Amino acid sequence: MSSVPGLQADCEELLGAFQEADTVRFERLAELWRERRFHTIFYGRIRALERNKLTKKTLELAQQYFLPPYAFQIRVGALYLLYGLYSTQLCQPKQKIRIALKDWPEIQKFQQDLIDSQHYDAAYIFRTLRLARAFHFTAMPKLLNYRTKKKIQENELKEEFKDPSNRVNSLITNDVLEELMNIHDHYQKMKCVISADKSQPDKALSLIKDEFVITLKDITLEHQEWQQNRMKLFLNAKETDEISNKKEEGALLESEGSERASALARIKYRSYSAVVEASKSRRHRQVKLESAESGSNYGKSPSRSKKNSRRLQPAGRRDAVEIKGEMQVAKETVTRHIGMPIITEEENPDEE
Amino acid sequence: SVETLMSSDKEDDPDVIPEDSSLQTLRIRKKALERREETIIVDRACRQETLAYEMESHAIGKRPDNPTDLVEEGELLLTLNIFYPVIFQKHKDHKPYQTVLVLGSQKLTELRDSISCVSDLQIGGEFSSQPDQAPEHISKDLYKSAFFYFEGIFYNDKRYPECRDLSRTIIEWSESHDRGYGNLQSVKMEDYRFNDLFLKIGFPYLFCHQGDCEHIIIITDIRLIHHDDCLDRNLYPLLIKKHWLCTRKCFVCKMYTARWVTNNDSLAPEDPCFFCDVCFRMLHYDAEGNKLGEFLAYPYVDPGIFN
Repeated sequence: MSSVPGLQADCEELLGAFQEADTVRFERLAELWRERRFHTIFYGRIRALERNKLTKKTLELAQQYFLPPYAFQIRVGALYLLYGLYSTQLCQPKQKIRIALKDWPEIQKFQQDLIDSQHYDAAYIFRTLRLARAFHFTAMPKLLNYRTKKKIQENELKEEFKDPSNRVNSLITNDVLEELMNIHDHYQKMKCVISADKSQPDKALSLIKDEFVITLKDITLEHQEWQQNRMKLFLNAKETDEISNKKEEGALLESEGSERASALARIKYRSYSAVVEASKSRRHRQVKLESAESGSNYGKSPSRSKKNSRRLQPAGRRDAVEIKGEMQVAKETVTRHIGMPIITEEENPDEE
Repeated sequence: SVETLMSSDKEDDPDVIPEDSSLQTLRIRKKALERREETIIVDRACRQETLAYEMESHAIGKRPDNPTDLVEEGELLLTLNIFYPVIFQKHKDHKPYQTVLVLGSQKLTELRDSISCVSDLQIGGEFSSQPDQAPEHISKDLYKSAFFYFEGIFYNDKRYPECRDLSRTIIEWSESHDRGYGNLQSVKMEDYRFNDLFLKIGFPYLFCHQGDCEHIIIITDIRLIHHDDCLDRNLYPLLIKKHWLCTRKCFVCKMYTARWVTNNDSLAPEDPCFFCDVCFRMLHYDAEGNKLGEFLAYPYVDPGIFN
């Protein structure tokens, strides 16, 4: 189904305002709703058949925000939004909200969370929707239809609404680190045993850095810190400096060391949040900064990141920096996948 | 938290888009509406739209007179798209289909009976010499075999003795060489209900009848039955959407639907040529009923007959 034009922008605007209000109270969303007179979204002399279709699409769009991976506040906002849209729709009998079977356990967990954290207004609203029989329990979340799409629309989910997905942390957990430490110790002992000097492993056998486990732990901590900082500052980011600044800052990067972690994070943040301001002739193709979550965008558009890295190489060459080669591979992988801003347009205007 | 917080304070006319709206959706919609009004392309609902809406909503909320026909809670509702076998050029992007709702506890044979295809109504045979004796037997009565194909299993209709196993040919073909198809089985259609099947949503399956008339079936949705749905078991399988096909009109009067088609007709301007019953007889037979000219005539059933 092709989407309703403008609807996603309106919903995101409302949810964004709700997120900024930093509360989960229904009254707050009701105020924002009334400000925008959101119920008029169904107005406009639409005939019955199209009205049904339109309402279905609206509810489907709003329902997407109700499920993970969105942040808790956004999900509560989506619940209120669904309630509002369901109640103010003009269809008779009312169009229902489709929830897939696989999502129900999560929703029930969500409801339990709401009750536990004493957000009784949200829990009450959910219960009202259930009692009003507002849900269709379906096998698949999206109703299929069979029109060949003129262009495949990719639904760009708004990044700020998502909970920062911390793939690095879920991979390098405490257990993993502990085990790594154990194996490392065991390995060192093994080396000692087989070498001539029983207290120390042979120089010829030192193939790895001795403190790599500690370094790994530090890197993950630093990454987490950096991500949190960046999320906060992302909302206030401005587009000012040239992209070439990024390269100059990059030249300051030296080999890893946990002492420089904070300095590193600061520099990286500054350089990667800078975006070139397009010249007047290319103003319509202004580059937008989008946060690149570690896992979320990577899986979706690997071709983009590759294109991006390819593009950056010539820019780097221009400023004659070989920093990429100097950086340790592990570090580089981390920064590549996380720090790279995904430039949304196809061409880098700077390169022309 | 009261619902009245959502509604507007003053009485709003839902047809009028408010002037000062900050919603993008409304701004875009307003432009489209204004454009429509200027050009008056779509002023009222055309009869196709009315029909489509009627079909979709005519059964909503219906309850049976007989309480034993009530659909129970926990019943599954499947939405199937059954595609027409017609192949016209204009259908290349979206093939026409009808949408049927079936209950999970219904047998496959009930669905088979509810599929209306024009090939069932064909009358075989050339009747230029005896136009009044076109037999009453339609193909549906003569060739009763049919099968469904879901997930590697052929469900053959074996209710009548003259039904044959049409899928046998396919199974033999796939077993003759190693063609890469797994074990294909053949079972009886009347023994199975939809609840017993393993199905994929969105995957094309097949319904074949009349030996070679094939319809693709796609399941678009499975959900639990809802309070607001039609709960009368007798109305299922329920047709909720049908593609409107234009009927071919008689070449002479251009008013009535064609009932005869002629080939190699010396009296007709084109080959094949379609006629309604009256015009056909007036042109090709004299007052005594003798055949005039050379031609071959066949009874014709237009695909749009189900409109």
